[in-house]
Order: sequence, then structure tokens, then C-alpha cells
Amino acid sequence: MLNSDNKSKKARDLSGARELKMKEIHKPSAFEGALWTALGMKDARVIYHAPPGCYISQHMDALMHEYPFELYTTSLSYANVMQGAESQLEEVLRKTLARKPKPKLVVIVTSPVVEITGDDVEGVVEKVGDKNCVVIRPPIGGSLHEGREKALINLISIMDPAVKKLDKTVNFIGPTLDTFNWRADVFELKRMLAAIGIKVNAVLTGGSRVADIINTPRASLNLCIYPYDCGIETAKIMQTEFGIPYLAGHVPIGFKESAAWLVEIADFFKVDAREYLKEETEMIFELIQSFMVLPITFECSAALSLDNNDTYAVGISQFLKKELGMELSMVAVGSAAAGEKVKEVCSNVLVEPTIDEKKEQFIEKGPMMIMGNFYDLKIAKELGFNNFLFADIPTLGYIATEASPFMGFQGARNLIQQTGNQIYINFLIETKGGMDEAISLGEIPWDLDAREAFVKVASMIPHFIKATAMRKLQKKAEEIAVKNGTGITMDIIRTVTEQYTPTRFKSKFLSVLQGGQDGEQPGEFSTELTFTMEWDAPARELMEKIPQEVQAMAVAGTEEFAREKGYKKITAGVVNEFKEEAGMGNK
Amino acid sequence: MLKSYEHCCSSMQALATLGKVEGIIPLLHGPQPCAYQLQIGTMTCRPSRLLTAGTLIKKSEVVFGGEENLKNQLINMYRQYKPKIIVIINTCLPQLIGEDIKGVITEVELELPDLKVTYIDSGFNFPKCMPLGNDVAWVSIVRLLEKQEKVKGSIGLVGRSGQDAGAFTSFDTFLKRAGITVFPFPAPHLSEMEKIARAEIIFPVHVVPYLTCKEMSERFGSRVEYIEIPAGVQGTSNFLRGVADILKNQKLHDLVDQQEQEMRPRIEAIKERFAKKPVKVMFAFGPASEFGLSKIMADFGAEVIMIPSMKNKFAQQEKELQKKRYNVTIIEEDFDTLEDLYDQYRPDAVFCETQGRVELTTRLIPTFCNMTYLTAYGYDFALDMGEKFHESMKLDVLSSWREVVQRYGGDQYA
Repeated sequence: MLNSDNKSKKARDLSGARELKMKEIHKPSAFEGALWTALGMKDARVIYHAPPGCYISQHMDALMHEYPFELYTTSLSYANVMQGAESQLEEVLRKTLARKPKPKLVVIVTSPVVEITGDDVEGVVEKVGDKNCVVIRPPIGGSLHEGREKALINLISIMDPAVKKLDKTVNFIGPTLDTFNWRADVFELKRMLAAIGIKVNAVLTGGSRVADIINTPRASLNLCIYPYDCGIETAKIMQTEFGIPYLAGHVPIGFKESAAWLVEIADFFKVDAREYLKEETEMIFELIQSFMVLPITFECSAALSLDNNDTYAVGISQFLKKELGMELSMVAVGSAAAGEKVKEVCSNVLVEPTIDEKKEQFIEKGPMMIMGNFYDLKIAKELGFNNFLFADIPTLGYIATEASPFMGFQGARNLIQQTGNQIYINFLIETKGGMDEAISLGEIPWDLDAREAFVKVASMIPHFIKATAMRKLQKKAEEIAVKNGTGITMDIIRTVTEQYTPTRFKSKFLSVLQGGQDGEQPGEFSTELTFTMEWDAPARELMEKIPQEVQAMAVAGTEEFAREKGYKKITAGVVNEFKEEAGMGNK
Repeated sequence: MLKSYEHCCSSMQALATLGKVEGIIPLLHGPQPCAYQLQIGTMTCRPSRLLTAGTLIKKSEVVFGGEENLKNQLINMYRQYKPKIIVIINTCLPQLIGEDIKGVITEVELELPDLKVTYIDSGFNFPKCMPLGNDVAWVSIVRLLEKQEKVKGSIGLVGRSGQDAGAFTSFDTFLKRAGITVFPFPAPHLSEMEKIARAEIIFPVHVVPYLTCKEMSERFGSRVEYIEIPAGVQGTSNFLRGVADILKNQKLHDLVDQQEQEMRPRIEAIKERFAKKPVKVMFAFGPASEFGLSKIMADFGAEVIMIPSMKNKFAQQEKELQKKRYNVTIIEEDFDTLEDLYDQYRPDAVFCETQGRVELTTRLIPTFCNMTYLTAYGYDFALDMGEKFHESMKLDVLSSWREVVQRYGGDQYA
């Protein structure tokens, strides 16, 4: 126990025990990993030995992304836990075994609460006496991939070492429920292998039946298709126990790596894959010839936020950079090992970044496309980035089928198709003429200071949205000038910048637009000025010192800043803090 | 029961409830899977703020205690966001290891006198009752509100989590047009919610906020009157007339008379359709929305079976009322799966959550998602639901798929 001095000191030292990242995006844990692995087996029944809240959350979350599965629970109450939950588990296990049709396997996954109470789960299984039960106890604090690996390793116990080996067969290790796009990737990789006469014996575990898992040792080769995430430990044990070698050297994403992956397997089985590779090369090269116009012409760039799927981070980054020529402005990964590999193609690698760190990178780098999860999409939309592809979990509201792989040859085609469509179509939609625009507004003269300010504003807008934003600003400025019967003045530029640019960037523009107002006297508040938060008198006075034309922008920017920071009232301190952040402070 | 058919954990409900109110920040005190699942879940059911502060308890804290970490997080949150109130949502794990939450709060409040911190014990404290997470979240707020001078003749309407904040307009316009001062609870901002202390009489509009109303009664000295949920044509009229009787407000009676007169042709048309095409509908474990929806359907003549999610005093009143008025069948016995229950009662349609829908849709049974029917108050909602119900079952679509799987699907679909 700490003495009072130490305790007091520790309470104030917030950098110590845990760095609380206030806008932290929580990641799936070992419990998700174990459950998603167990639930991948279609005719197994999984019992989550847990309070109902844990069960409901896990059940609902997985159901939102996956095809139907059966997950049962012991629904532990506080009283159950206090008195020992073995009898509750026994009752549910017996009921589960009595269901019709009889489950081929029952997998019991323990929850954090049970890991604390240390229930004798194995003892209950032994008492009930059914051989077809596997217990998985994920570690508290363990990662998603640790949970997956643990579950895969535990499933080795039901595999039959005595089954007869089948020639030209492989197992896939790694795809589980809720692995992003696993269904489509497995479908495509199976198709490719079938084309050279190789059959997939079992998938550990997504979409398999229990019999497939039992017969896993029939295969001649194991393939770890998510080598940066999980499966290698399982493959090593299977090599020792069943003599099955494994491959984990290639991530089959992109054309070149998919081909290398296939050739390695073909070489193992002494199969000739050349004819098939020739066909695929011909098909994809036609597409590439067309698509290469796009990255070269538009200098495409992408930010990858894939920190729950390191294999995708490695594979997609290599593909986009090496085969499509796209610049990677940022890649977020979940582990240092993946980060090292990604550094081969991207200098800006973030390992487990916070959402704020990602946001800063999006703003600073202005990628043409972002690939990521639901949270990244939310940020992208808020920041005005329209080009987005889902490529990681969580994916609320996203429907994934067998149709759109990212792995294999079809995956390469799909990535090109989706990337191209996002960038190219949005580019055309955003930057080309409107349906009901005037054919020409005629030539509008610009004041020199307005032109300079416009160019400065342009330089501050992220690369890809720049074209859209500047075109809109110019068009609106011209409309106002025509209406006023004037040229384009600084006032007009201020007005359109205020009204038609994302709020996020306004603090930057403020410095440019304010710069043109040196020497002006403080003005009255604009009659249209709207305060949506509480402002104290000194803060309002500071606003009065700002030129009238940009007061509205300053008020809106300050309020947004205050909301983001969680301030409920705007004081002079808040205004000054905002000015500092906008680069207008005194420091 | 082998499954649980509620929408989410009571901790998630508490998080979603508190996360919707400006001025309050919830702090989730639990392990990583709790934080991940609850963050994802609440993103679907609240104005989705990315901020979900969590303590992410680790194994070492289970062994040595996590109070110090909790204290640090509270101070950190206050420094960054300056909230009026922080509510610690104390999940199963810290409850199990017996952390001294009250002690931490006392220490933090000594250090930060401007901050109010409170806590709730959710999770396995409320097994099988997600809406209780809502109720206890409100209680935690009410505990921190000050007693205020009452406004003569005023009433408070107390509802459920966030979505109710905008849903009262479907019936409270009658109250306002009758000249009654109304204080709603919940409201989007804490400063508006505080005004509930000024209401002379509090009318709960749902079965959920029983503990909340009890706390309000004790803390503010308010009189609490449960009439019934203002859902369905008859339910809405009875609620408004009940308020009119208590306040002796004839104008409110007149407004209800007038509304009923105007709706009569639509109601008769709906009842005629239900008579021609009778339906048996099962409501399974909505987040207490089964209590309101069942009345809407029973009102029009449907045979109703309800599996209630709550057992508090208001729920008991509502169940008795529905049994007597509509002969609703209430199921409170244990069962293993919803599919088993379906086989026993054979309803034409089932209202349930995703888990149940997946189970029943596999058999091409018409299902409705409870979570899309959360604001079932007032006349308009009831009429709209009654008019569209038969088409909404999509029997033609289900029958088309039945034909496909039977014709081409082989033995497995026989």
C-alpha cells in the first residue's frame, strides 16, 4: 500500500500509470478474437460464459457484420458469480448438448468476469462428460490476434492426427468471423488454387464445418494468409504434431504478390501454374493500361488507417505504391512488425495512433483517398474528404459478401476498380460544370489583394479537395461580383471563404484575410453575428477588435474550437488559446 | 434461456443515455472488451460522439486495485473537458473486485471542488434488463440536482433515454395548447433537465423511469402520477384525459374530444382492415418499447403476445392494464430460444431485436426491429403504424424467397 505522500504525488502525475487518450478508439480484444474464431465453425455451438451484457454486445456486434450463427450464454448475474457459476454453466452446457440437431462441437469461451473468479470450467466439461467440448480462456488485456491465436491453438485438440493425407490440398489458417472481407478473400484464393488443381481442405475457421476442422491434418500444406496478424503459432504447432509444413512469406494482395503466393504454392506441389498466370496477367494488364492514366495524371495519394488488420496494411500499401504508383501519405498499423514492413513504401507510419493523431495527418497530408474503418469514415466526412473505402473493422452498416475481395487477382482488380471509381468519379463530379450553371459569367476583373489572398487560401487547402474548393470559391466570388457590378474584391473573397469552406480550415484562412486588414479600426459587431454559446464580456471585446468582415468567421471558429475542447463558456482565455492554435497568437 | 434477446448491456444503455446530454461526461470503468463493444454499440444509438472515455482495466489492476488509475482519469477528464458532471459507469469487473468507487470520488472532489462526480453500478447488477441502465443513469443525475421552487400548475414529463427528448411533441402540444407549463425530462442539455425540479406533478410517460421518479419524489418533493404510456389511440387519449382530470383542465378534455372526432374515419378504416385480415403479433424484449407498441396493435384488433423486458411497479401497472383492456397474453416464463417460443405460439409477425430477427428470418418469418420503433408516442405514430402494418410484413417478398429455396435449394431447405 502506498503511503499518503507517494499516493498524493502519483495522483497528480498523469503521465504515469495510464495515458488516457480522451478520444481513444477502443480496439477489439482477445475475447472478440476467441469468439470470432469459434463462431466461424457453422455447425459448432458456442457458449459465452458471461454476464448477459457481455453476451449481448458480442452477439449483436458480430451479427451486424456476419451471416447467421448460434451463440448461447450462461447469462451470469452478480449472485451467480458470487456463489460460483459452475452450476449455471453445467445447466447451459447440458441444454446445448440436448438441442436438435445435436451440435457437432461445443466451444465454451470465458468472459473477463469468469477469468477473475477462476471458475472450474474444465471441471464442468469433465462432469458433463461430452468429448466434443473445447474451452477457450482468453487473457484479460490480450489483443485481438492473441485471442484468435489462442482459439486456433485450442482447436488443434479436436484434430484427428490419423486421417489419411490428401495430395494437392492446403489449409487456410487465419480467416475468422469479423476479419474484414474474409469471406470474399477466401472465395478468391480458393478460386485461384482451384485453377491450378489445388483444393482447400479446411479454413481455420471461417465458414468451416466441425468435420473440416477434425480433418485438417489431411492437407499437405498450411497457408497463413494473415501472417502479420495470427496463425503462425498455430501452423508451427501443427507442423510439429502433424508434420504439415506451412507458408507465410507472401501476402496475396496486389497482382505481383498474389502471383508470387501462387507460384510458391505451385512449386511446393510441383504444379505448372504458368498457363493460368498468363491468362490472369493478360486480363489484369488490360485494366492496368487503362487505370495507369489515373495515378499518373492526378498524382493519386492515399492514407491507410488499418490498425486492426496489419496484413492488409502491409499488402495494400505495397500494392498501391509499387503497382499503382500511388503516394502513401500515411499508414496506420497495429504492430511495430507491420510498421517496419510498411516503411519500405511509406515514410509516415503510425503505430496504434489515436483518432486525433490520424485526424491531424488527414488534414496535413490531404490524401485523395482514405481507407479505414467506421471511425475513419466519420472523421473523413467531417473533414470534407469524400473518397473513402472501407478496409478494416469496425464497419457499422457495411455489407460484406463474397463479391469484393481485396486478396488475389480478383482482389487486385477490385481494389483498382473501387479506388479508381472513388477518385475519378468524385473528381469529375466535384470539379466539372454544374447542371444548371450559366455558360459563362464573362471575364471578371480581380483586385490585386483579392487575387493574392485567394492564392494564399488555395495553398492552405489540402491537395485533393483544393480543386473542388477553389473552383467553388471562384464561382461564388464571380457571382457576387456580377451581382454587385464590381470586380472581385477582398471583401468578396472574405465573404465566400467564410461561407463556402470547411469550418475546419477557417482558422488558417483567418490569418490571410486578417493580414489584408492591417491598420483598420475596430468595427461594430455585424448585425448578422450569431453567438450560439455563452461569451463573457472580455471575450466579446476581443471579437470587437477584429475587422467586421471576419467577425462571423472568428466567432464560428472560436465556438467550434471551444466545443472541441469541451469549454462551455467562451472567455478571453479561450479566444487567445484559439488564436494560438490558428497561428495568430503572440508566442 | 440459452440466449439473451435484449438490444444491449445495461452499461451500454447508461453510456448512450448519459452521452446524449450536454454537460455530462460518462466514464466507462471496465476492461477493454467492455470499452470496445460499448463504444461500437453506442455509436449506433446516440448522437455519435467519438469520445468514450474508458479506464481499460488490466489484469494488474484486478490484482492490485485500479482506484489510482480511475482517479487519474477523472482528473484528466476534468482538465480537458471541464464537464459539470462526470458519471462513472462501474461495470461488472470492478464491482466484482470490490473497488472503492465512493472513496475515489471523495478524493477527487476534495481536489476539484467544482466538479461533481457520481457513479452507477450497471452490468450484471441488472441482468436481463437493459432499460434499467437508462433508469439508473437518470437517477445518478437527479441525485446531483438541486431542489427548486415549484411553478404552480406545472407538470413534468419523464421519459426514457435520448430519443424521448424529441418525442414528447407528439402529445405534449395538447398539454401546451391547454395552457399547462411542461418541464420535459430528458432534454438535450443538463440546464434544461434541471428544471424538472420545478414541476409540481410528475407524469412518467413510460414504464422505464420508475427509480428516477422515485428519486425525484424523494429529492424534490414532487407528486408522481403514473397513468399509462401515451401510445396508441386509446392510450394517448387516456393519458391526456388523466392529466386533465388531475389538473381539472377542461380545455385539455375539449382538445382530446376534437382530436378523436377528426381521427375517427381513419381509425375505423384501420380496424376494418385488421378485422378482414386478422394478425397475431408477438413483442419480444423490446427496450421496453414492447409496452407501447403492443397497445397500438391491440387497439386496432390484433391478437397480442408480449414478453416484457421490465418488472418494476410501472411495468406491473401497464401489464395489468393491457391484460384487462386488450386481453394481451403476457409471457414471463423462461424459454430457451425465441424460435422455440415462435413454434409454441405461431404468431404472424414478431417484433424483436437483431438476435431474434436473424433466428426467425432464417425461417422466412416476418419480423420487425424493435429499435426502429422507439418513439411510439401519440396519435400520429399509432395511425401510421396501423395503416401500414399489413404491407410492412412483406409477405410477398418472403413467399418469393420461400419458393426459391424450396425449388432450387435442395433437401436442406425442405
